[in-house]
Amino acid sequence: MSSNALGVPRSRHRDHPLWFLIPALAVLVVFFFVPTLFNFVYAFTDWSSFKSAINFAGTDNFTSLFSNGTLLNSLKVTLVYAVLVALFQNLFGLGLALLLERDTAVNRAVRVAFFIPVVMSALAVGYIFQALLKPDGALNGILGWLTGTEVAIPWLGSTTWTIVVVAIVHAWKWMGLSMLIYLAGLKTINEDVLEAARLDGASRWTMFRAIRFPLLAPAVTFNVATALLGSMNGFDIVQATTEGGPGGTTELLNIFIFRTFGQGLFAQATTMSLVLFLMVAILAFPVIRYLRKREDVL
Amino acid sequence: MKNRFRSTLALAAAAAVALAGCSDPGAGDSDAGPADWPAQDADLSGTTLTIWAAQNSNTVPDSVIAGFEELTGAEVEVVTIPDPYEQGVQTKVATGDKPDLAFWQPTASQLTALNASQNLQSLEGAPWLDSYDPALRDITGILDDTRYAALITTPAVEGVYYNKEVFAANGVTDLPTDWDSFIQLARDLKAEGTTPFYEMGADRWATQWWVQVQLADAAEDGLWDRVNAGEEAFTDPTIQGAIDTYKALIDEGLFNEDIKTATFEDQGAALLDGDAAMVMQVNSFFGQLQSLADTEELNQKIGFFPISPSGNTGTFIPDQSNALVAFKTGDADRESASRQLLSYWLGDGYGDFVNAQSTVSLQPGVETPADVPEALLSASESVGDAAGSMQALAIANPDLYLYLADMIQGTKTPTEVAEATQAQFAELAKAQGAEGF
Repeated sequence: MSSNALGVPRSRHRDHPLWFLIPALAVLVVFFFVPTLFNFVYAFTDWSSFKSAINFAGTDNFTSLFSNGTLLNSLKVTLVYAVLVALFQNLFGLGLALLLERDTAVNRAVRVAFFIPVVMSALAVGYIFQALLKPDGALNGILGWLTGTEVAIPWLGSTTWTIVVVAIVHAWKWMGLSMLIYLAGLKTINEDVLEAARLDGASRWTMFRAIRFPLLAPAVTFNVATALLGSMNGFDIVQATTEGGPGGTTELLNIFIFRTFGQGLFAQATTMSLVLFLMVAILAFPVIRYLRKREDVL
Repeated sequence: MKNRFRSTLALAAAAAVALAGCSDPGAGDSDAGPADWPAQDADLSGTTLTIWAAQNSNTVPDSVIAGFEELTGAEVEVVTIPDPYEQGVQTKVATGDKPDLAFWQPTASQLTALNASQNLQSLEGAPWLDSYDPALRDITGILDDTRYAALITTPAVEGVYYNKEVFAANGVTDLPTDWDSFIQLARDLKAEGTTPFYEMGADRWATQWWVQVQLADAAEDGLWDRVNAGEEAFTDPTIQGAIDTYKALIDEGLFNEDIKTATFEDQGAALLDGDAAMVMQVNSFFGQLQSLADTEELNQKIGFFPISPSGNTGTFIPDQSNALVAFKTGDADRESASRQLLSYWLGDGYGDFVNAQSTVSLQPGVETPADVPEALLSASESVGDAAGSMQALAIANPDLYLYLADMIQGTKTPTEVAEATQAQFAELAKAQGAEGF
């Protein structure tokens, strides 16, 4: 501010005294900094619904949480879920973007259709899929009609595969957003490069693999990072479809937090959300760093 | 410039911290002076009372409210708190939001969860206590020798709902008289090709009844007092044994084949259609049956008997729709009006209430309406000498049902179920400051 401020006319400083920042800053502090700060503070207390006093409890909550297998299981489930969502959401989004790349009237209409789930309520999506995937739900009905036999697959009842099914539902809801970002990325690729490749006789696959996909790097960075880190905070879709079942195999950390909070153990729930925050932070840096490195080709 | 910016920031941060403070906003004052009990018809014009209710209890007070408003001129508003009700109410109360009255599970663990001594009015010496059936008067609603909840309907009982037609078709004329004859009956039915038991593994919450009814004798013998004191654990032979037995019965094939995916709705339909002979459930299951069939059909098809290891003792588990609590709101007039509403509900208004709800009366002076189904009557008859459930007698209510559902799905062994339940119980007991944890 000191060195290049010399080039700026003095009057502009007078237009914007710093205390004008106070209203915005106050909102930021009250609704963002203080809650985040308290997320750290309460994790070290014994705050609960059972008594009114809040006492400092040291690292008690951390030791009891980590000695209890449920937290580690939830952390593992959350990670697996996030990776699966990132994978599916980007596969679906990229596939749709490539399919709907040309600006025809039909493509425009179809793009809108695929974007609708993004603006739908996640709980509504969850409940719709829960109804579709029931043993006597519509999906089994369609499969039964096609095969001519009675089909009663419990799609949400497998302790191994349900997490994949739920991740696909999550990816289905958000794939429209990934599609949109990939479409924007495809539009920025220089037509000359593609034309040169065509003249060199490159096949469509080679062109995608060697030119278009590497040039999509910024879109990939954004999509993978938001899908991965966003789904670590997942709650609504899983709560609506499985509530963490069957057998705790889809119990995301947020569902565990919700359950703990509901038991009145507010401090423990805060501790868990701190653990989740740290996990997202720890994961975010290397992932984003790696993805940004891929952009060096540009 | 920089310094001014810094001091502004520091000032704002300091103000925000001071504003938020480091205290529990749910903390209330704790003066527990002797309450007076106003006459049921005292004038309350201009007073508005709020009752919190759950989605399945928000129409319960209708007849009482209509009568009370006409009698006193008060206005009573029912606010529905969305499910999960208990968590919603606990969160609101923890942040300082309180109604005048609320439906609430009158058990020790749930009264503790609301921090009863701080937040709830004592109902000691209430005028309606003497009208109760003496066997039901002190059955629940009491924490640390203080009465905080008013029981309005019979608490739910864990026991066996059975299909009379399936029993008749298999030549069963005598109901089981203890656990051994109960299991023998199941084995006989299975040999005849009938599914003896139906469990809802996907909806999870009913799984715990199987363990709890096996603990009825031990509960009468002070099991939960020992668990509360940390002297006995879920992993000790009594409770672990009940979990093991449940698992063994499932492995033996006495339950429906789709136990992992079956839901609450499936369970009701299966018993009514005779696809299974028996279901271990509580009163809300009968509510589900009532939505599928009329009283006449239910009387013809469905019966109830309680079961325990040594005989036919039921296990009672009051739920949120059975009772009300009155909050300390800090406004003496409204607090007194809340007590007046309860006096009316269990006083002059009780006859209308029981008739409007078609429910069993708790007061010998008020007759139970004739259209209450037989199975519900049998269930409520067993309440008087029933043993307390974990929810009724333990100081904390761990997610036993969830771990048992995990066991049904195959992701936990019976030993792990007991360990997880004990760990959670200890965590909750410690948070409450219970001795021994």
